[in-house]
Amino acid sequence: MAPVPDPNNVGGGAKRDEATTKVPSKDPKKKDDKKEDDLSEEDLELKQNLELYVERVQDPNPELQKAALESMRQEIRASTSSMTSVPKPLKFLRPHYGTLKELHKNMADSDLKKLLADILSVLALTMSAEGERESLGYRLTGSGGDIGSWGHEYVRNLAGEIAEEYTMRQSEEASIEDLMDLVKQIVAFHMKHNAETEAVDLLMDVEDLDLLLAHVDRTNFRRTCNYLTSSAKFLPGPDDMLVLDIAYMIYMKFEEYPNALQVALFLDNMQYVKQVFTSCTDLLRKKQFCYMISRHGITVELDSEMVADKDDRDMLQDIVNNTKLSEGYLTLARDIEVMEAKTPEDIYKAHLLDGRASSSPSVDSARQNLAATFVNAFVNAGFGQDKLMTVPSDAASGTAGNWLFKNKEHGKTSAAASLGMILLWDVDAGLTQLDKYFHSTDNPVLAGALLGVGINNCGIKSDCDPALALLGEYVDNEDSSVRIGAIMGLGIAYAGSQNDQLRSSLSPILNDAKAPLDVIAFAALSLGMIYVGSCNEEVAQSIIFALMDRSEAQLGDALTRFLPLGLGLLYLGKQQESVEATAEVSKTFNEKIRKYCDMTLLSCAYAGTGNVLKVQDLLAQCGEHLEKGDIHQGPAVLGIAMVAMSEELGLDMAIRSLERVLQYGEQNIRRAVPLALGLLCISNPKVNVMDTLSRLSHDTDSEVAMAAIISLGLIGAGTNNARIAGMLRNLSSYYYKDASLLFCVRIAQGFVHMGKGLLTLSPFHSERLLLSPTALAGIVTLLHACLDMKSIILGKYHYVLYFIVLAMQPRMMLTVDENLKPISVPVRVGQAVDVVGQAGRPKTITGFQTHSTPVLLAAGERAELATDKYIPLSPILEGFIILKENPDYREE
Amino acid sequence: MLTVSVKWQKKVFEGIEIDPTLPPYVFKAQLYDLTGVPPERQKIMVKGGLLKDDADWSAIGVKDGQKLMMMGTADEIVKAPEKAIVFAEDLPEEEQATHLGYSAGLVNLGNTCYMNSTVQCLKSVPELKSALSNYALTGRSADVDQTSHMLTVATRELFGDLDRSVNAVSPTQFWMILRKKFPQFSQLQNGMHMQQDAEECWTQLLYTLSQSLKAPTSSEDSDAVKALFGVNLRSRVHCQESGEESSETESVYSLKCHISHEVNHLHEGLKHGLKGELEKTSPALGRTALYLKESLIDSLPRYLTVQFVRFFWKRETNQKAKILRKVDYPLELDIFDLCSEELRKKLEAPRQKLRDEEGKKLGLQPKSTSKDSDVKMTDAEASSKESGESSTVTQPEGGSSEKGTLHMTGIYDLVSVLTHKGRSADSGHYVAWVKQESGKWIQYDDSHPSLQREEDITKLSGGGDWHMAYIIMYKARFVSM
Repeated sequence: MAPVPDPNNVGGGAKRDEATTKVPSKDPKKKDDKKEDDLSEEDLELKQNLELYVERVQDPNPELQKAALESMRQEIRASTSSMTSVPKPLKFLRPHYGTLKELHKNMADSDLKKLLADILSVLALTMSAEGERESLGYRLTGSGGDIGSWGHEYVRNLAGEIAEEYTMRQSEEASIEDLMDLVKQIVAFHMKHNAETEAVDLLMDVEDLDLLLAHVDRTNFRRTCNYLTSSAKFLPGPDDMLVLDIAYMIYMKFEEYPNALQVALFLDNMQYVKQVFTSCTDLLRKKQFCYMISRHGITVELDSEMVADKDDRDMLQDIVNNTKLSEGYLTLARDIEVMEAKTPEDIYKAHLLDGRASSSPSVDSARQNLAATFVNAFVNAGFGQDKLMTVPSDAASGTAGNWLFKNKEHGKTSAAASLGMILLWDVDAGLTQLDKYFHSTDNPVLAGALLGVGINNCGIKSDCDPALALLGEYVDNEDSSVRIGAIMGLGIAYAGSQNDQLRSSLSPILNDAKAPLDVIAFAALSLGMIYVGSCNEEVAQSIIFALMDRSEAQLGDALTRFLPLGLGLLYLGKQQESVEATAEVSKTFNEKIRKYCDMTLLSCAYAGTGNVLKVQDLLAQCGEHLEKGDIHQGPAVLGIAMVAMSEELGLDMAIRSLERVLQYGEQNIRRAVPLALGLLCISNPKVNVMDTLSRLSHDTDSEVAMAAIISLGLIGAGTNNARIAGMLRNLSSYYYKDASLLFCVRIAQGFVHMGKGLLTLSPFHSERLLLSPTALAGIVTLLHACLDMKSIILGKYHYVLYFIVLAMQPRMMLTVDENLKPISVPVRVGQAVDVVGQAGRPKTITGFQTHSTPVLLAAGERAELATDKYIPLSPILEGFIILKENPDYREE
Repeated sequence: MLTVSVKWQKKVFEGIEIDPTLPPYVFKAQLYDLTGVPPERQKIMVKGGLLKDDADWSAIGVKDGQKLMMMGTADEIVKAPEKAIVFAEDLPEEEQATHLGYSAGLVNLGNTCYMNSTVQCLKSVPELKSALSNYALTGRSADVDQTSHMLTVATRELFGDLDRSVNAVSPTQFWMILRKKFPQFSQLQNGMHMQQDAEECWTQLLYTLSQSLKAPTSSEDSDAVKALFGVNLRSRVHCQESGEESSETESVYSLKCHISHEVNHLHEGLKHGLKGELEKTSPALGRTALYLKESLIDSLPRYLTVQFVRFFWKRETNQKAKILRKVDYPLELDIFDLCSEELRKKLEAPRQKLRDEEGKKLGLQPKSTSKDSDVKMTDAEASSKESGESSTVTQPEGGSSEKGTLHMTGIYDLVSVLTHKGRSADSGHYVAWVKQESGKWIQYDDSHPSLQREEDITKLSGGGDWHMAYIIMYKARFVSM
């Protein structure tokens, strides 16, 4: 007589409220007195029976006692199926609980005593006082029979008491063996009865998740793992890692390799990644793994253990190296019919603003042209064609050259580099187009060409290492702009690669006394990118020395902030243990930079962890009212966003906290708040954030306004969001007189229409589980640069905007067949529904529409195949998905 | 012998042989044959760097069957254009101003927005500007007093400064002279200069200019200001009691739009303003009697100024109170029915012409019924006879005479609006809204010029606490015949 679990009661949050089981104990008391006489005949009979049993139990005759107890058990078991009210037998036995307890105490050890303990254990469900854990106590002395026979509610109550008992015994260092026996029974019971969440909760409480492995089976492992991975976000370290470890093992046990790989990537555990490859024998599935790795943006060298055959390995390595990304992206673009190049004017849509004569001014404005260069680069990113830079030079006698020279001095750097962005991911074409600038005698142009190569190669790896080969020799060029171009290019091209050759060529720059500050700053930044999240000691040392060598005046320079940032990137997302030593050293720094460094290290180390305590630390920093000149609160505000961005609940909380900070904070905090909001909702235009930013974009403090405008671009990045586009258009007319603000508006417009709406900047992928470290590094760098907009982006270092390329990814779902050729299948795309802990087979998307692939996925959307003809090789339908024909498919 | 494949652009050249004993330059020459890229432009990527011409193959460690990548094109190298591009940021300040398409704002010197907005409105009259620039040439005539002369010069200088500057101009000099000439503007309140009535400033300034801009040579005709702004009114004064009737003419610089309960539109207000009652001694009755005065426009100005009579003296509060009533005004004003009979006749023909032109623009055929053309013929004759007599109707400018004379049509286009925001004339804020030659509307809020949309200009008609039109100026629409 297994109790039917109520599906409504199973789900819910991470912690189940133990009190609920005891709630009904209050009202029956009152009713008992009143309704004594209103009992129906049936109930009256039951009551009399039970009273009789109680009397008989007290009888000295053990035979009679036994019979009475048996009958009592019978009655109780027959009635525990309902959970809406206290079962009647329990209710009627309440007055006798004390008597029975007394009896049990005085009874000699025997089977009878155990039987009575069992009954008392059940009775304690409603009778026991809070914190007494009598139910558990009697259970342990009882006969220990099938735990489920007393009903689900009893088991739940027991589980709660075990958790309490466990903590108590842990503090007393008492033995827990008897408890663990019980835990095993309960877990087995829960796992069998669709209550995986409760089993996991109990095991987390008693810190023995390994038990789970023995109890999962084909039917429930998905729900179990789903619960484990989602609860990991709310657990403090190192528990979260343990939980994910278990999830990984379960997935491996059931050969659910794509999910296992996902968890392995989350854990950043290369051993696990390798294990996935070695465990799986199907080449096609391995291809799918490679696509998943390539989206994550980390460097993985496949070895012969992972893939035995050399040709296969080469092909898989090509996928990991993202060499097919450009092709897939262009397939998507052709399918959506957006290949036609767009000009900046198509984006500005000045004709929609009246009063603003669209007659272009007779004189070129360097600032406006620079903005147009960026807009053109962002909008046509990856399409390989545009109307400014790639126009064939013979068509109009060197038009391309002309646009380049419509930019002034350092503007030419950004213009030449924009070519790399336009030809993003297409290395062959990119290098061909950039070649002509390599022979330029104009240093800014050469610097741009070098940077362009880096951008062009972003996320693409190749055996020939074209970026390294081409840029390597310019790293020590005598012209500092050329040097910066090469260094930044290398940083972008090799982000996350941990390439030792680069370390040996870039590290010396940091400690070169003759090198100018800007070169050192960019070198530190590039090293941070290349070694992002690696905790590399040697790089950290070099940056620390570089920071210590800076003079007082240099520490005040806006670019100095890139040194601590480079240092922070080394520890991106790696939490306390790894960063501790460096944080300790940073305490010895000059006080001008010390706090900035502290904040940057803290925020980077906890980026994407959702650690609430760190958010509070950072908020406390923002609460201080400082004297002028301190700049560390900016990174603290950004830090709140970086830490909290990982999951929805924390994200919403952070947005609310930031609103508060905005109201009470000092000016330097207010300037950072829009940027933090931009990071929280990157490529995810939430209406409330949009409104806040729109309000701030008219702020009296122009730096707040600028930050808000850039952030409007960030939250709408790659979405073509009409509302943001309209806001920006109006802002462009509102600020048409202010060149700096107008520049920001243009950049934001470029962001919103990035890749003509096919791209996303979100560092999260795979249903928001994984965080690409390089993408986050790119965004964070841009935001840190925006903290001092005037000296960096509006000064001569506007090309730091190109760091955003690290986060640019197509927001597509492209299905390919077994030969990796795109095929079109119908898919349903809708808003993702959170199904964690839900019983049965809940719908995963809502409000869906059916399209045929390739399709675009917006933030919070999920796709599922609308046909049974194919089986996707990954359950997460994002990016490249290999489809296998379904052998069981029958044409209707 | 090693065999490698070389990838260049999208092509792959398979099976290229390398002789390790020969320098890489030979290999590059081989590739030159295949790709057409000259060896010095070739960049061949090998592990760890580029292939140098004199490198040692063994040191590079190229393996058999390796894939090499080559970069390079035979394209022309990009050269900077010979003529350097001039950027707006590098231009001197004056040129940047012309590039913006409108002139600078005026700094508020402490409650001087009434003056700033008046100056901005008047500055939008190009004819006034040219008259002022000629002023220096004519010099001060004897019958203009010293302060008027100084004010005129100051106005000229201020207009010039505004045209040249990008940033807001501070009208300190002008203000000092204005206060000197009209001491009423120097009133202080709590140690600050008081807010003044813009209308007063407008009238006084215009009057001064009209005095000083009168050319000393010929007396009446060359009064530039009068020619631009003056409206001749012919009034019939009629006493109902005695039946006396007389007519008089006068010249005013602006029409008044009286606001009463019936007035909802500028047109009604103007009509209202042209009718008045006055008390004067009647020679026939030998005592003061009530006279009715009805005026009609006898000649039209190039710039028609209309003042909304929004302020009246409230005895209880001892201040000028404001009528907030909404009075709509059009972007295009037709004052035909406010004109006298003679003037109407003169206007007939040009108006017909204008209608035809507009009809053509809209793709309609001009009406060609015989009756209409008859009327037109006679009208045309009539007007051609009279056109010689009236100098106010036809105003041939310097060069326009050869194209045929320009004729007034009685139709006016809105060019500037001076608004007031606030509850009384001596407080609140004055702002000028001026239409530029490019057709854009600019709001001059002291030192902040900003672009406005045309439909927002007509929304300044009052009825709330928003800016409301106080003085508006229309420019005559001409038709050449």
